[in-house]
Amino acid sequence: MTQRRQASSAHAGRRLLLVLPLLGLVGVLLGTACAATPPGFIHEVLPNGMEVSILPDSSHPIVATRVWYDVGAANEEPGTRGFVHLFEHLMFGGTATRDKRAYWDHHHACGGSNNAYTDWDETVYQSDIPPAGHAQVLELEADRMIHLRLDQENLDNEKRIVTEELRAGTENDPMARVQLAALKGVLREHPYAVSPVGTREDIAAVSLERVRDFYARYYKPRNAHLIVVGPVDGDSLLSDVRRIFGALPAAGVTPPDVPPLLGWPCPPEVDLKEDLPPAKIAFLAYLLPPPSAPDADAVAILCEMLAGGYANPYREDLVVRRRKALFAGTIRLDQRRGGAFVFVSGVLPNRNKAAQFRDMGETVKNLGRKDWLTDESLAALKRKLMRRYENQNYFAAERAEAIGAERWRTGDVGRAFDRAERVGAVTPGQVAAAFDKYIAEVSPVRVYIQPERIPLLVKMFGWLLPLFVHA
Amino acid sequence: MQSLLAIPVAVLLLAAVGTPTRAASGPREPQTWAVDSSTTGVLVEDHRAPLVELRLVLPVGMWSAWPPRSYDVGAAWDLQFRDARGALRARADRLAADVSFSNDAHSFALAVGCRREDLDSVLVLVRDILANRNLDVREVARRNRTNVIDWKSGQRNPDFMLGLTARRLLRRENDPRAWPLKPWRIGSDVARLTAARDSLLRFPGRFIGFAGDLTRAETERLAAGLLPQAMSPPPELLGSGLKPVRPPDQRPRDVVVPLPRLTQVYFKYVRDALPLGDPDWPALLVANHVLGGNFYSRLGTALRHKGGYTYSANSGFGVEPDTTMYEIGTYTRTAAADTVERKIREVLATFRERGITEEERAAAAGYFVGRRAFLRQSPAQVLDRFLWERARGLAPGARDAAVDRAAALSLDEINAVIRRFYDPAAFTMIRAQAK
Repeated sequence: MTQRRQASSAHAGRRLLLVLPLLGLVGVLLGTACAATPPGFIHEVLPNGMEVSILPDSSHPIVATRVWYDVGAANEEPGTRGFVHLFEHLMFGGTATRDKRAYWDHHHACGGSNNAYTDWDETVYQSDIPPAGHAQVLELEADRMIHLRLDQENLDNEKRIVTEELRAGTENDPMARVQLAALKGVLREHPYAVSPVGTREDIAAVSLERVRDFYARYYKPRNAHLIVVGPVDGDSLLSDVRRIFGALPAAGVTPPDVPPLLGWPCPPEVDLKEDLPPAKIAFLAYLLPPPSAPDADAVAILCEMLAGGYANPYREDLVVRRRKALFAGTIRLDQRRGGAFVFVSGVLPNRNKAAQFRDMGETVKNLGRKDWLTDESLAALKRKLMRRYENQNYFAAERAEAIGAERWRTGDVGRAFDRAERVGAVTPGQVAAAFDKYIAEVSPVRVYIQPERIPLLVKMFGWLLPLFVHA
Repeated sequence: MQSLLAIPVAVLLLAAVGTPTRAASGPREPQTWAVDSSTTGVLVEDHRAPLVELRLVLPVGMWSAWPPRSYDVGAAWDLQFRDARGALRARADRLAADVSFSNDAHSFALAVGCRREDLDSVLVLVRDILANRNLDVREVARRNRTNVIDWKSGQRNPDFMLGLTARRLLRRENDPRAWPLKPWRIGSDVARLTAARDSLLRFPGRFIGFAGDLTRAETERLAAGLLPQAMSPPPELLGSGLKPVRPPDQRPRDVVVPLPRLTQVYFKYVRDALPLGDPDWPALLVANHVLGGNFYSRLGTALRHKGGYTYSANSGFGVEPDTTMYEIGTYTRTAAADTVERKIREVLATFRERGITEEERAAAAGYFVGRRAFLRQSPAQVLDRFLWERARGLAPGARDAAVDRAAALSLDEINAVIRRFYDPAAFTMIRAQAK
């Protein structure tokens, strides 16, 4: 049912956005296929430091608004894991003059939707609403940016809610548990090593004083970026934004920088056990540069060529041609300060660890021949990306997300509009160089995950499993 | 004055219809035509981007009488894309095309997205996929093994186990709505798989849908001959394969599913829902929205916003012309489980006794009307919604019409349905909790 899906997807969406980074599926940064900045696009920095981007487009039936705060889970200190996400919940708690339901009630009455997500690098508030309801959204966002009501009762309630979210999303899901353990095992003390949802203990320890201090430090115009995409009059909207947000005081501090991921000291190997079904899973993890790096476009294309497509070369070699794994795939982590590309394989429990890694290593070595990288395959991949960017233009929400992502991941809002040109300029030589630099010439972190319990019969006669598994 | 204005407006509209150039308007209304006596063509024009979506929708689904006899074939619908040499998949990659296969209660579908300039080559690829007889037998074996692993993985997941238990309780074993009750197993007889696929393609009542940067003349040309000639007369197997629902007095009222290591208790409170054509369906739509279909629903307020017992509390039901399942779901920490179960029952009792308020009714109606804009952002959205209705034999716009009826209902009409539907005797409570 449409209405039910909408409501539950709001819950699921928030959970998913928390879990996706854990899965490394944050994916490719979005862009657009416009040859240049689209007509009517406005980008302005208000005197109080708040950035404003407006993209008027009358073809959209809804207006997408994003308020992007430059503070995320990676800015948390040890002992406060999960705090930024908890604070995201508190932003829906009402203001000095508005009830806690006001923000939601307004969207609901108009058929709109609203949500938020906390990533390692940022916290983003999302509003999608038919045009008639948009004007009040700006008032509501400005109000909670400066007049948020923070009290003990609401904090305690949200701590309980967030803890239930954590239990459901991680504690009670074996795959999520093991992915969190793998992330922590590989990145150890790096701020990206802990899920934005945090830990139960740290959430329980959050005080109202700390909440108020955090709000005063980071939820200020200088750390905020307002993005609006949809059927709006750009100049008129900008006047409204200046009036509503421009009067807010410039204050607060920029959060401390996060160390780059590339070059971070990772252990050579991580071994894990979990309550999993009878399959052994292995990862080969390679660290990647940040989206702002000079070769970021070549790296993005490299990852797409290795991971995307129906005949992706890694799976074709390991599973289809050489038949050394039951399943294979890749995971991509893409954050502001770097990323990772992970080759995954799954085998039946009779296979041993050394053989599994040897087989994966041979496939990665085979990829080094670069048979998958031809002028034709690169051209096809570029067409695929172009289609993705063009398809994005149907949806105001996706365009708004893309503008925020480029601004805050690369530091250049204009990159939301020249993605097609940048991708189009990447050469096979650049992709090959990226493969050599980040994959062929470095040692990956090896992560090995095996089931906690393998039945004795499977241990002894597992090689027969393929014959009897459906008997 | 009005008629004077109407002439230039009409000229402009005609010019827009006849010109396939880029325009800043959104998707247009679906146009239909007869491709042949058994196939309907559909086009949703949208010239904002040089993109095209294609849908082949076959009027047989997992709830039809046909799949039970060829169930593994239904599960293997996408295997036709997997030839032994991987040539079809490699061609799709070279064409930068998205190719996906799906099936639902009432249809099997092939969806393709591509750039307009690649469409002719993509249609050749589609024909070759639908004619592929060289299925990858090794992929079948791998699929069967991973299906078992996925199934075992699901048995550690409370949501999976609650869903499985609910289907077992409410449906008879031979009712497709109960499936899957065990891991999918696909037969490796390639000739049988391809023969079943060939039958699927020939069932009459098919749709070939296009959306995007195309004109009617182009799509009429492209749709012609895309599918093989349909069977005539239509086989009986096109009909429904559903069995009578299990009455509430033939199932337990409370069921516990033990799972290892859970730190929470998961709840699913279930009964049969109403089919889309039921006169009470629009009222149930409103009632459900108020009960658990929005963030500040009765359940969300009682279980999340007051007391922080859960992150998620909701209710909902599948929209089909057939009877689906009505589900209320939530979870909470183990120590609060009994409190939450009591609160669920209390919320339901109050809801049934007092119904909804006029304020709640008006808010739900406003939501339904405003929400429609979200369904018209891309041409594929419009096409898919149209095809969903037509594959079920519903009139175009049937869902919108039902929602309009819901928005126009009086408070008394809605509350009368609430009193009938939310009878605790019709519900079964399922709890997944630590062993």
